[in-house]
Parts: sequence; structure tokens; C-alpha cells
Amino acid sequence: MRLKLALEHDSATRGRHVRDIVQELKRLQWVRGALIVAPDGFVIAAELPPTAEVDPLAALTATLGRELETSAARLGRPSFSTALFSADDGTMFVAGSRIGYLVVLADQQVNVQAIRGALADAVALIDAAWAGGEVNPS
Amino acid sequence: MPLLRRLWWGGGDREPRTVPDALRRAEQRRREGRYAEAGALVARALELDPDNLHAHLLAAYLHVARRAPAPAKAEFHWVLDRDANHARALLGLARIALEEGDAHASHDLLRRALRFYPDFPEAKALLDAVRARATARPSAPPAPVPPRVERLRLPGTGRALIVGRADGGLITAQPVSDDAKDVSEALAHMLRLAAAALTRAGLGPLHRAIVVDGHDAVFTRTDGELVVSLALPRATDPTQGLLDVNRLWSATLHELGLTGAAPAIAPPVTPVNTPAASDSTGASHAPQARARTR
Repeated sequence: MRLKLALEHDSATRGRHVRDIVQELKRLQWVRGALIVAPDGFVIAAELPPTAEVDPLAALTATLGRELETSAARLGRPSFSTALFSADDGTMFVAGSRIGYLVVLADQQVNVQAIRGALADAVALIDAAWAGGEVNPS
Repeated sequence: MPLLRRLWWGGGDREPRTVPDALRRAEQRRREGRYAEAGALVARALELDPDNLHAHLLAAYLHVARRAPAPAKAEFHWVLDRDANHARALLGLARIALEEGDAHASHDLLRRALRFYPDFPEAKALLDAVRARATARPSAPPAPVPPRVERLRLPGTGRALIVGRADGGLITAQPVSDDAKDVSEALAHMLRLAAAALTRAGLGPLHRAIVVDGHDAVFTRTDGELVVSLALPRATDPTQGLLDVNRLWSATLHELGLTGAAPAIAPPVTPVNTPAASDSTGASHAPQARARTR
């Protein structure tokens, strides 16, 4: 399963394309919703079911994403690429990218490999598009 | 001119002349994930008005977004020095405290934020997660590890096994290593945050996790009290990894005397006591966990 997107590297179009990525993730089979949240908890783009409270979920997933990154660094491990958390009524995927965390909420019977592949595509698209325009801190 | 501003205005864009213009454009860049450009615009706003609280708060957010907690803390503190009850600055510091492992400080900061803004949804969600961590703190010294637990057999491709409690306490590890206790604590902290997020998403209690990095795929199973985590090569098929961790879960429960269902030392291949995966996440395989929580 591939994301049917190609990002232009023109910085002016990045905002629109990052929303396209979320919409493409939302269209995948068994996916209920998706969002991209910055590490500070700011929601860059979201396509979530009406029952989901966006801001609290964004705050928690951003904190979770940072925890996955910082705990790996503390333990001298490579940073995570994807994480999956499975519960009674669904599955949550988190992937790290240059601008923040991609989060996918899906049904329990979701095809794990397909979603992980789609997230890898999305992260690659974002990282390629942002590579030239952003400067790493410190 | 600071480096980030030179980079941004080197492209020929018009430099903002007023603080509102700079901040409006900075917010727009932030919404697009263009943090360096947003940072340069905030720097411009602060040149024009060094005491602008909104600009300092936005600078703090952008430092966090670019994963630079130290300058973010300085900016949040600057805001709190001028407005001691600024809920968003308190929330920002609370998140950094949690990231730094200081749950007590995080709890206090969130309580302060909620004292003045009781309906602050992000602060409430994080406080719930922090409280879960506080209630998971061990109240008694760890019990001796049953010797047979130490003999749990890893699958052939298994790299490491951690058996711990949800409070982060380590029960046993294979291979025995100096950092196993730290790994167990980090794992428990991560699982608490994930459980809180799943609850907020309406998905129910956490049962399984798979975290993939450049080296390993770490398969974890939990029932909210016990945590069994198995590191396998990152290319491991998810179904196979879940079957392997299910086997070790059953064997661990048996060795700890929590169930009689599993063999004493289960074979290190797809086990007969683990039902075939009903779905790709193996999410329905929780009979022992459910039995323990009844």
C-alpha cells in the first residue's frame, strides 16, 4: 500500500501537502483517523472521527513521541521509526518525522505492515520536502 | 542579523516591519511545520518588542517543536516571571519536566495550570497520565525473583527479554545487563503514556506494543500490571513476534504462579498454547490478562 502523493519541495506548498498526507492516510483501509502533531503538541493537520478530542489526544501523542525519542537517546539506542499500540477496540500507530509525529488510529483488524509502509512513505515525503528548508537546532 | 533570519530573508521575502505582522507570519509557518522560518520571524518580532509575551511564548513552542528543551524552558520561565499563572507556559514546562523524568514537578505544574483554568483539556489529559504514573509507584520492596523466571527461553532470534511491573520495577532480564533496570523503567513510562493516549482515543486499555527502531523490533505485552517485552530483529514479521511474546507471556505468568495454563518452560518456537493469530495485531489473545484482572 503506497501513498499516492508526491511533495513539491517549494516551501510555500508544504502546508497544503502535509494536509494531503493526513487525508491520504485517513483513506487507507481500516483507518479511522490520522493527525500530524508537532513535538510541542500543536496540531499541524488532523482528520479524526468526531468522537475524538483532538487537543488532549495531540498533547498525549506528542508527549509519547518525545518519550520514545528521549528514552532511546538516554539508553544509547537508535530513535524509533514506528510504534504500534494495540487495545481492545483499535490500534494506534505513531511515526517520527522531521516536523513532528504522524499518528494513525485504526480498527483492530488493520493490516500492520500496510500501515507501517504507508507511514514510512509519509515520513520520507515529509523529510525530503523539509530537508532543504529547515535548519536543525543547536 | 542572526543566522536563521539571514537564511530566511536570503530568499528575498519581505521583512516584517511590525510585531503583529511578524507574529502572524510566524504562526502561519508554524502551522506548516516550517519551524526555522517561524523562529526567524519570532526573532524579528523580539527585535521590535523585546518584552512581547506572545513572542516569547511562541519562541518557547518553536524550541520544543525543534526538540530543544533547554531554550524552551528559559522562554517558558520568562513568560511565568511576568504572568505566574500563564496556563500554557505551565503546560509547556510540565511537558518538559515529564520528558526529563520529573513526574513530581510535572504534576505540580499541571495542578497549577488547572487551578486557574479547570477546563484546560491538554493539561487534564496530561495530569491523568502523570497520576497514572504516580499511582504505579511501588509501595513495597520487590519480591525475590522466582528462579524459574530467570530460565525463560528466548526464541532463536531473540535479542533481549525484560519482565517487569507496570510501575517500572524489573523482575528479570535476559541477558542480564547493567541497564536492564533503566530499560524497564523507560518501558513502563512509555506504556503509561500510550495507555493514556489510547484511552483518550476511545480505543480501550493497552494490551500490546511494537516499537521499531533502526536495529530492533521490541514486542511488548501487558495487562496493566505485568510487562513482558521481547527484542527481536527489526525485520521480524509482526505476527511471529506477537506469537513469540505471547508464548513468553504465558510462561512468565506460569512461573510467577499467576496462572496454571502454560507449560513450565515453553518451547522457543510458535507455541501450542498460543492460539493462532485472529488478526494481524494478535489483539484478541488476552485470556490470561483478563483472568488476572477479574
